[in-house]
Amino acid sequence: MVDSPDAKREQDQRFEKEALPWMDDVYRFARSMTHDEADADDLVQETYLRAYRAWHTFEPGSDCRRWLFTICRNVFLRTREREARQVDTGGDDAVLETMAAVREASPFAMSDAEAIFSRLDLVPAIRGALDELPAVFRAAVVLVDVEGQSYDEAAAVLGVPIGTVRSRLFRGRRILQHSLLEYARDSGIIGAAKRGKPQEEASDGL
Amino acid sequence: MDCEQVVRELWDYLDGELTEERMNEVRAHLKACRGCFPHFDFERAFLEALAKSKAEHTAPDDLRKKVVAKLRKAGLA
Repeated sequence: MVDSPDAKREQDQRFEKEALPWMDDVYRFARSMTHDEADADDLVQETYLRAYRAWHTFEPGSDCRRWLFTICRNVFLRTREREARQVDTGGDDAVLETMAAVREASPFAMSDAEAIFSRLDLVPAIRGALDELPAVFRAAVVLVDVEGQSYDEAAAVLGVPIGTVRSRLFRGRRILQHSLLEYARDSGIIGAAKRGKPQEEASDGL
Repeated sequence: MDCEQVVRELWDYLDGELTEERMNEVRAHLKACRGCFPHFDFERAFLEALAKSKAEHTAPDDLRKKVVAKLRKAGLA
């Protein structure tokens, strides 16, 4: 705890400097769990309030963003305990789920990815597809694919084993791909894209 | 490494979650395999698109004000 006014001022300045800049990231993560802008708004406020009160427990030099994600997740779970229990009893066998996801062919696999991704208006497509994802998958996808967390870091934030993160992530990605495929069809992009790609040009960026 | 193994580990590869040895094996296979490269190409584009969506989705301005106001009320100097 903070003893003197000077020490408190210093702690507060450190909080403003280290914790507040992550608000966009915390908001995206909150939004991925609540599925609702107003609820995300409340969750972010509560997250920062709890983070401020617990700031003396934050280890200087450690990952502040991950610390905030963890608080955000915990606040969400506490306020939605019943829903969280339902979510966690989904019986997701991490290994089987992961295998199922990777074995399922990508809906776009044989299409020209570059053509599809350059023609699709991706921002609304991805936002819409993310919104439709079930919450457990969405949290994993947002942490890893949007926020750039490793599987290990995402597992720590979500409080689940790494295999569960992996299975939820892979499942979530496949569902997203199917949603994007539908969006591309609705937009008239599928069918117009070129198919196939010469192998000679296809070995860069590995 | 055969194609099935590579496709199975493609996302781990793209996420940089494999051991260095395994990363090299997948990379070598993709370089040589006509069938697997389109899978890789698509998945890479898909993940890049997802990562890019981050910049378009930020916290509303009034949320920052609300958070700071709440923190000041809680004692933030």
